[in-house]
Amino acid sequence: MQDAITALINSSDVQGRYLDDNGLDRLQSYFRSGELRARTALNISANANTLVTQAVAKSLMYTDITAPGGNMYTCRRYAACIRDLDYFLRYATYAMLAGDVSILDERILNGLRETYNSLGVPISATIRAVQAMKEVTTDLVGADAGKEMGVYFDYICAGLS
Amino acid sequence: MSLVTELILNADSEARYPAPKELRIFQDFLKTGEQRIRIATVLAENEQRIVQNASAKFWERCPVTPSNSGNPRKTASCQRDQGWYVRLVAYSILAGSEQPLAEIGTFGIKEMYNSLEIPLKNIVECMRCLKEEAIALLDSEDALEVAPYFDYIIRALS
Repeated sequence: MQDAITALINSSDVQGRYLDDNGLDRLQSYFRSGELRARTALNISANANTLVTQAVAKSLMYTDITAPGGNMYTCRRYAACIRDLDYFLRYATYAMLAGDVSILDERILNGLRETYNSLGVPISATIRAVQAMKEVTTDLVGADAGKEMGVYFDYICAGLS
Repeated sequence: MSLVTELILNADSEARYPAPKELRIFQDFLKTGEQRIRIATVLAENEQRIVQNASAKFWERCPVTPSNSGNPRKTASCQRDQGWYVRLVAYSILAGSEQPLAEIGTFGIKEMYNSLEIPLKNIVECMRCLKEEAIALLDSEDALEVAPYFDYIIRALS
């Protein structure tokens, strides 16, 4: 995985250069965002279970998907669904701390769509749930931090669709 | 790899969120960003000067060496390498970790210079000169941040 710092180092090293002014500016704003990122991660980590519960309630719980014949029917499948949402939230938090999406590709998205298709997990419902998670997370952490987390939730959705 | 990546991968290996203490370390590290950028900028802007001065010092201490043999190609490649090490140290300063330096410049360093038939003790002396010239440009606090990375290169050569 990369983070905001190593992404810039890697792209500079390929050219055998130091970071240019643009890169240093981006690094500067990343360094300055440390408190916001740390505070957001603490807040999410303390409320992770609630966020998943709220996101499910908002997007999936009262739809056909939880009824007999739906992909979340049976406790086992329900449990697998909330486990995955839990993963998405944790990896989005990692990516937010890193200021870089690469960990999402490496640990979540590579092969996920194929896996879901083969298991019959509906992609559109998954995206709806991730979007709901984005909303409930923003409600918890506030607009600024929510906007930053939104980048990574949206990236997960884009990778699934 | 940087301190940030390291901390995230540690948490991920245990499938947990970063602990409060880790987030404190993360935040403290990012707070030192201004200093890191300042040091990296000094190294970038003065690379040529550091390399020129370090070369002069190196040849004084170690006159019999390929870069001082009158072969301009050997001199140029030695100085190019010196410049690269200054750059890699600047990367490591930004990352707060020796990993960029190690991944790009020290894994295999002994094998490489051995196969180029450059005596390792000469390279060590050359790195010492680079270190001295680099820290001479910095105040004592910034010098303390830079010196360990040059020492890391020297250790990798021994």
